Amino acid sequence: MTKKKVVHYLNQFFGQIGGEEQAGVGFSVKEGPVGPGMALQKALGDDAEIVATIICGDDYFSASPEENAAAGLELVKQYQPDLFFAGPAFAAGRYSVACGAMCKAVNDELGIPVISGMDESAPGMDMYRKSVYIVKTANQSRDMVKVLQKMARLAAALTDQESGTKLIALENMPDPKEYDYFTREQLRNEFCDKTIAQRSVDALLKKIKGEPFESEVTPDRFEKFEIPAAVKDLSKAEIAFVSDGGLVPKGNPDRMTTRSNLRWGAYNLDEIFANYEVVHAGYFNDYVVDSPDRLVPYDVLRDLVNEGVVGKIHDTFYSMPACTTVAKKCAENGAAIAAQLKARGTVDGVILTST
Amino acid sequence: MRLEIESIEIKDVQAGAKTYTKDGVLFINLEELRELILKDSRIKSVDINIVYPGEKIRILNVQDVVQPRCKIGKDDADFPGFINKMQIAGSGRTRSLLGTAVVVSNPSTNRVESGLLDMSGPMAELSPYGKMKNVSIAPYAAEGVGERDFENAVKNAGFLTAVYMARGAEGLPASEVEVFESDLTECAKSDLPRVALYYQTYSPQFDYLAVSDKIVYGNNISFNMPIIVHPNEVLDGGFVGWNALKGIDSYCIQNHGVVKELYKHHGKDLNFVGVVAATANMDADSRERGACMSAHLIKNVLGADAAILQKILGGMPHVDISSTGIECEKLGIKTCVYTTPLTSAGTLGDTILFNDERLDLITISGNQFEKTKIHFQAEKFLGGTAETQLYGQGIKQYAGDSVIDIEQYLLAGVHDLTGNRNIIVNEY
Repeated sequence: MTKKKVVHYLNQFFGQIGGEEQAGVGFSVKEGPVGPGMALQKALGDDAEIVATIICGDDYFSASPEENAAAGLELVKQYQPDLFFAGPAFAAGRYSVACGAMCKAVNDELGIPVISGMDESAPGMDMYRKSVYIVKTANQSRDMVKVLQKMARLAAALTDQESGTKLIALENMPDPKEYDYFTREQLRNEFCDKTIAQRSVDALLKKIKGEPFESEVTPDRFEKFEIPAAVKDLSKAEIAFVSDGGLVPKGNPDRMTTRSNLRWGAYNLDEIFANYEVVHAGYFNDYVVDSPDRLVPYDVLRDLVNEGVVGKIHDTFYSMPACTTVAKKCAENGAAIAAQLKARGTVDGVILTST
Repeated sequence: MRLEIESIEIKDVQAGAKTYTKDGVLFINLEELRELILKDSRIKSVDINIVYPGEKIRILNVQDVVQPRCKIGKDDADFPGFINKMQIAGSGRTRSLLGTAVVVSNPSTNRVESGLLDMSGPMAELSPYGKMKNVSIAPYAAEGVGERDFENAVKNAGFLTAVYMARGAEGLPASEVEVFESDLTECAKSDLPRVALYYQTYSPQFDYLAVSDKIVYGNNISFNMPIIVHPNEVLDGGFVGWNALKGIDSYCIQNHGVVKELYKHHGKDLNFVGVVAATANMDADSRERGACMSAHLIKNVLGADAAILQKILGGMPHVDISSTGIECEKLGIKTCVYTTPLTSAGTLGDTILFNDERLDLITISGNQFEKTKIHFQAEKFLGGTAETQLYGQGIKQYAGDSVIDIEQYLLAGVHDLTGNRNIIVNEY
């Protein structure tokens, strides 16, 4: 069996260039393991070999993380590695971001497993947890060897084709509890000991008896909003339409998806009514396909404008097909749509329609 | 009401000159079965095959899976409203076969998705049906029969086959006899907490060609108003599967997970007082009406202290189940709300489409929209062909593809929304 080739990323301190006074130093490459890389090599054993260590100063990297990650990636690529490690960074601010950015860039381009280690408080953890396997560490570097062993163990699980048999999706995804890494905002069905029927009855009996019981999910609690004041004079107001019902221009140019869509688009209202389709898997689209006015009541609002009840209809329609899209993403997109509406400067009110 | 289900282990299923069992082997006269199915003039012809675990077979256009069962000592009581005259299901003795199932395909369908069952490979490992010796039936539509009408004919053909097989097992000793008995008058004498099941049976959002599936005593149940039924009616053929696989089928309902689990506790640490059967709703008024009515029936008619609220597939049913749960909690009914996540991205909290602090006990079944990549090259296709389209979303996939990446609700038996599978969703 050929040894897996490994590249390791470190900052100037762990890369043995120097302390904070050397934080401005740019990229350098050393053949073989450096500093913590020695213990990592030991933990990896004979299956893998650290062929190179990429080192960069924390200040230098954090000045422009994306550009530097791209530059670092070029250095990594020449070794054609099978695995990439960064850090561990513990709770370090700049270093954790650099580790996360490097890992993401390498994974995006090369598709190989990328592993880092951080403390919960490290900014790089929250920024990159979705793209990078990050094992949990303490906030200081005292357990360096143990952390490196955890990182090596996770790497072995990620490259082992036999693991992941607990998953109905038949994917190779190590158990986050067993391997002690930050979950990556992925959900998977897995086999467990009890059926949902058993779990439901057991938990309900505890609830009936007044004993402590555990809910398998605790939904996020949403912010409560004050209802804004009404539009003062509707006859002078400009009203815009926003909808999550899936109305998009014919051909779906922004490639929205019928389920779990993450994108939104702004389209000219008259143009979309002349040429449209519906992208939404959560309801029967037939009525809207027949007449988009049944989703976005342009016809009724036009009548009201003609009658002088409403001032004007905003010429742009905002669309975000949302069927089973996670609430956080809806809120993000909603904020972006609201910001653009505000930036227009003329819109006084919005009609939001859903299905 | 008392129901006895007598289970018989079937070791093997084989074609034979007559239908009977010997030493645990069920022999089936396939010609006699064919004639029985073809009595329905809506069916022009039917393919019948016995399939075994390990065979490189992919069964397509699976509409339903049925456990072979028949009433003992009654000729006209199986699947009432479907293949027999209306009567209340759930009392007397029922023979039930283990280790075999009827896999019901509709090769004449125009639906864009196909339910499937592989008899070997990774999917057979994931599904209990992949490990059974099954009878696959695939009826073809007679000319001029409407698509939805024909689906009902296919459904009935599945039930006829199930009854025919179970009758053939007469004389074999039962390996297990389960007694299901619950009586409201008896429950009233007990101090144990009274628990009801809210059973969401269907959602009209899945009405194909704008017609609801017939799933209760031969009728559709899109009438929006909940009804009270005895749990035995659910287990004994009063309630059946949909006309397409969506994480539930007749086999699941005949062994309804929560009904059976509540029965296990019945008389020990709770009294199982009954089932409120309802559907999800398409509009807010109907939803509110359904939620208030269900909570009222649970509290004031069944006199329950607590309820398990069980959901079927879909996003809208999330809203129905939470509205019903909130109405229950308002009336002092302690609830456990059983949900189904709909996405593989995000956190568990993200998957819940409601937000009310009164619903403080939520359990999660598997996510039926999760995809599984199946590497399997079938050598034989039943109920369809290698060209059968499996899936309409995104990239088109066909039955003959050596790798398919498919949402799990189309994989027969992998999930069971009545609660029988050892599956949970976790954050990764």
